[in-house]
Amino acid sequence: MPTEDVRSQKGAKASERLRRLLVIVPYLVQHQGCEVAEVARLFDIDEKDLVADLHLLFMTGLPPYGPGDLIGVELEDGRVWVDMADHFSRPLQLTRTEALSLYLRGTALAAAPGLQEAPALASALGKLRDELGPEALGGPPERVEAATDERPAETLDALRRAVADSERVEIEYYAASTAETTTRRVDPEEVFFAIGNWYVAAWDHLSGEERLFRADRVHLITPTGERFQPRELAGAGRPLYTPGEGDVPVRLLLGAGARWVAEYYETSSETDRDDGAIEVVLPAGRLEWVARLVLRLGDEVTVLDPPGLKDRVRELASRTLERYE
Amino acid sequence: MHPLERLVNLVALLLEARKPLTFEQIRDKLEGYEDSNLASAKRKFERDKDILRDIGVPIDLAPTDAWDVEEGYLIRKEKYYLPEISFTPEEISALFVAARSVGEGEDGSAEQGARKLLAGADGGIITGVSSGPLVAGGDVPGVLLIAAAEAALQQRSVRFGYRTARGAPSERLVDAYGLVYRSGHWYLVGLDREREEIRAFRLSRVTDGPDVTGEGSAPPDDFRAGAHVQAGPWGAGEPEERARVAFAPEVAWWATSGVPAADVLGARDDGWVEALVPAGPGDDLASWVLSFGPDVEAVEPDWLRAEVVARLEAARAD
Repeated sequence: MPTEDVRSQKGAKASERLRRLLVIVPYLVQHQGCEVAEVARLFDIDEKDLVADLHLLFMTGLPPYGPGDLIGVELEDGRVWVDMADHFSRPLQLTRTEALSLYLRGTALAAAPGLQEAPALASALGKLRDELGPEALGGPPERVEAATDERPAETLDALRRAVADSERVEIEYYAASTAETTTRRVDPEEVFFAIGNWYVAAWDHLSGEERLFRADRVHLITPTGERFQPRELAGAGRPLYTPGEGDVPVRLLLGAGARWVAEYYETSSETDRDDGAIEVVLPAGRLEWVARLVLRLGDEVTVLDPPGLKDRVRELASRTLERYE
Repeated sequence: MHPLERLVNLVALLLEARKPLTFEQIRDKLEGYEDSNLASAKRKFERDKDILRDIGVPIDLAPTDAWDVEEGYLIRKEKYYLPEISFTPEEISALFVAARSVGEGEDGSAEQGARKLLAGADGGIITGVSSGPLVAGGDVPGVLLIAAAEAALQQRSVRFGYRTARGAPSERLVDAYGLVYRSGHWYLVGLDREREEIRAFRLSRVTDGPDVTGEGSAPPDDFRAGAHVQAGPWGAGEPEERARVAFAPEVAWWATSGVPAADVLGARDDGWVEALVPAGPGDDLASWVLSFGPDVEAVEPDWLRAEVVARLEAARAD
């Protein structure tokens, strides 16, 4: 018996290893002869740790713990077979928190417009509702719902394909920060859904840096046929707005009706005032979007800094008024 | 003997026991509790029991016979085992994509749950397990979301601190009726006991709690939680009429796609695209129009056009 394998995990708590085993063993029973590497991947565990757990597993069983009562584990050519483990042929029921976390996340994701996994996700959630039922979730699942009334970004599938194939693409993009449409070559590395929108994290050849693009603002996407080497961009792990060197701190006083701005945009400081107003500093690379924001907020906002922003707003207002004259 | 070995054997023993086993019987059958001192063996067993309960193993205490003289431990199979559910590789992959969404205070519960379902996966390639997250930025901590969901599912009355959209702090007592996800945010919908009205509360604005105060009331028969969380890109309101808005060719395609109920009428001679969007007196449609600057024009109705012009003139004179 390779006891050193068992000891190698002394650091891992017995409770964690037990939690893992009660889930992995049923998988092995149901999928006889599966590859150890595949099991390690599925359960996000080191192959070495998995093998150590399996070595320990075949010292367990039922009374009187004779040779015929112990679980049989056979490891050969990187594959694994388990027998005499009928009592572990089905996994432990999901805890309330596990069932709810999974169900809620699934419900939220299913609401993402244009998700290619949507049909599979919907039927999987249906099975959770029907088979796990109110008992596991704690009540009638129809009390949880997601509204899906947004339209999918039409370019989403093409973007996800480009990510999967590491293909450089040319996009026509409308940037809200400058209110301009540009054509640029990008190397898209990751597509993800965040706070109601799809984003693509890409290396942008126009600016020579990593950028996030909102998928619904990518108007046209043209494949270039060129492949790129992924740069392991931060992608979904990073904040949606990255401060740049040319950023100007914009200081605004937001009335009660404009407080949402502090929630919606990345701010570098927020100071509450007694009257319900809030003073915020937003780092902004461009003033165009801030001017539009100020116009939108009307008398709910007072511009404190920079001085040039007020002129921008006045100029934007006159330019817009021309439409109505 | 390794503690893990003892724990695995304990689960197996209690699962397969035909009747509840007393600690003495367990100690007798199972290796690992043979400490000479009964009290310390019993303490070890208590610790093991806590570990099992902690990871969700349902251990019950029940009389060992019909005369109720002694009580023993057992694991009821119907409570322990996950029901048999089979999933296609696509379904499991989709669940993993959902489970791996990055959120605030993520504790891995969703992923642990998804892994338990793997045993029921049909053969085939399962993706989504190791790829990057497809979803990011859930805006509420998992604990808060779970607490709100449990309140809604179990129809509880809850008390929580809440900061309104206008920033005012408040305390609410709400009979939870439902939980709704919309445009990136979770909302708890329920009867606000003080205001005697059904309201929606955005979870990211909950400042503390929710704490369960007791049983809640039942929702009205025709209740639909989703109906209480309506929001256009310009804010909440009951649409009563439709406004005609023209978009510069550059922005038309995405501006209209951001309005769920927009009807695109088509391009005018000057290339601008006209669309009908829902509008009501409670809406802040003028603000939304203004956020596009010179790229959008409010065409109809007159009150909207007048409001936009008045606000532009005020901004020009400021």
